[in-house]
Amino acid sequence: MQIYKSLCVLFLSLLFFPFASTAANTWEVDTGHSNIYFSVDHIFSKVHGHFNDFTSEIVFDPADAGNSSFAFTITVDSIDTNISKRDKHLQSADFFDSGKYSTITFVSTAVTPGDDGLYNITGKLTIKGKSYDLVLPLVLAGMKDHPAAAGKEVAGFNGKIVLDRLAYGVGTGKFYEMGLVGKDVEVFVSLEVTRNK
Amino acid sequence: MEYFRKYTSALIFLLALACALSLPYLYESQTLWYKIGLDKTLLRLGQISGMIALVLLFSQIVLAVAGRFLEKSFGLKNIMAWHRANGLLILFFAVLHVLLILVPEGLENLPIGFKFWPEMVGALLFWIILAMVISSRYRQALHLDYRRWRAIHKPLGYLTPVIIVVHVLYVSDSFSHNVPKTILLLAFALLCLRVFWVKGTAFLQNRKDKSV
Repeated sequence: MQIYKSLCVLFLSLLFFPFASTAANTWEVDTGHSNIYFSVDHIFSKVHGHFNDFTSEIVFDPADAGNSSFAFTITVDSIDTNISKRDKHLQSADFFDSGKYSTITFVSTAVTPGDDGLYNITGKLTIKGKSYDLVLPLVLAGMKDHPAAAGKEVAGFNGKIVLDRLAYGVGTGKFYEMGLVGKDVEVFVSLEVTRNK
Repeated sequence: MEYFRKYTSALIFLLALACALSLPYLYESQTLWYKIGLDKTLLRLGQISGMIALVLLFSQIVLAVAGRFLEKSFGLKNIMAWHRANGLLILFFAVLHVLLILVPEGLENLPIGFKFWPEMVGALLFWIILAMVISSRYRQALHLDYRRWRAIHKPLGYLTPVIIVVHVLYVSDSFSHNVPKTILLLAFALLCLRVFWVKGTAFLQNRKDKSV
C-alpha cells in the first residue's frame, strides 16, 4: 500500500514538474520601472514618445534560454508624446489606426543567448493586423535579490531596435516624402522584472 | 439716430466675425500642417465653423440681455426673434464644427479621456447647446413649465461663453499665441462688462422705481 502511495506522489510530481518549473521562471514586469519608448526624426529634431499601457508575459531562465519566452501586448491608444493632439494623430489612420487595430503584439518563438548577456528574442511582431518576423535584442542587465522587496528577485533587460515604420504599414510615406517625419523609428525596451524567490 | 445705432451694431458684429475668421489663417494651427488634401480643407472648415459658433454664441448673450441700446434700435420683439434664430444657427455651426473636426481624424478615433479634456469640454458645451435649443423650441411639446425652463435656460446660457472660452483657449494652438489669446479674453471681458452693465442699470432702475 505504501508503495502505491509513493508511486502516486511520484507520478503526480512528474505530471506537474514542467509547470512548476515554468512557474518558477515566470517573471512579473514592474510596470513603474519598465518602458517601451521610441524616438523618431521630425525635420531636424527628434520626437520622443512611449506607450503607457503594455502587458508582458516573461518566462526566463539564463541557464535554460531554450525554454524562455517573451510576449508583449501594447495598447496603441496609450501612446504618449506629451502633446495630446499629436497622440490623436498617431492613433488615426495616418499612422497606427487604433480604431481598427487596438494592440501591437510581440510573441517570441525562440530565445538565443549571445555574448555579454545578450539574448536575441526571435518572434512575431503583429502590427495593424499583419505579422512580421522580428529579432529583438535584449541585454540582461543583471539578476539579484531585490534591494527593496524582501523575498523577491529582480532582473533587468534593455534593448534597442530600429524599425522602418513604413515597412510595417505605420504611415503611407507622405509625411516622410514631405521631409516631416522620419521612417526609421528607434524603439527602446527597458524592463525591470521580479519574481518570488 | 436709429440708423446710426443699427449700423453700429451691425458693424461691431461684422468686425467681430471678420476678426474671428481671420485668426485661424493668421495664426494657423499646427494640426493643419499634418493634414493633406481633403482632410486639410475639412479641418480648416471645421475651425471656421467653430469660430463662427463662437461669435454667434457671444452675440447670443448680447441679444439675451438686450439693453436699452439694442431695444431702441431693433425692438424687443425683433431681438427675441433673432435670439431664437441665432440659437439654431449656433447649433448648426456647432454640429458642423464637430463633424468637420472629427471626420479627418476618423470617427472611430474620438478624443475621449482625461488627456483630451479641452475636447471633452467642447463636447460638454455641444450637449448643453443641443439641450438648450431642443428645450427652447419644443418647450410646450415637452410640457416644460415656462418658469422652470427659464430658471435653467438663463444660468446655462451665461455658462456657455465661459465654457467656450476655456475650450477655445486650450483646444486650439492658434490661441497659444498672445494676440489671439488677448483678443479672445478682451472680447469675453467686454461681454461680461456688457452683461453687468445692462443688468446693473436695470437693477438700479428697479430699485429707483420701487423707492418712488
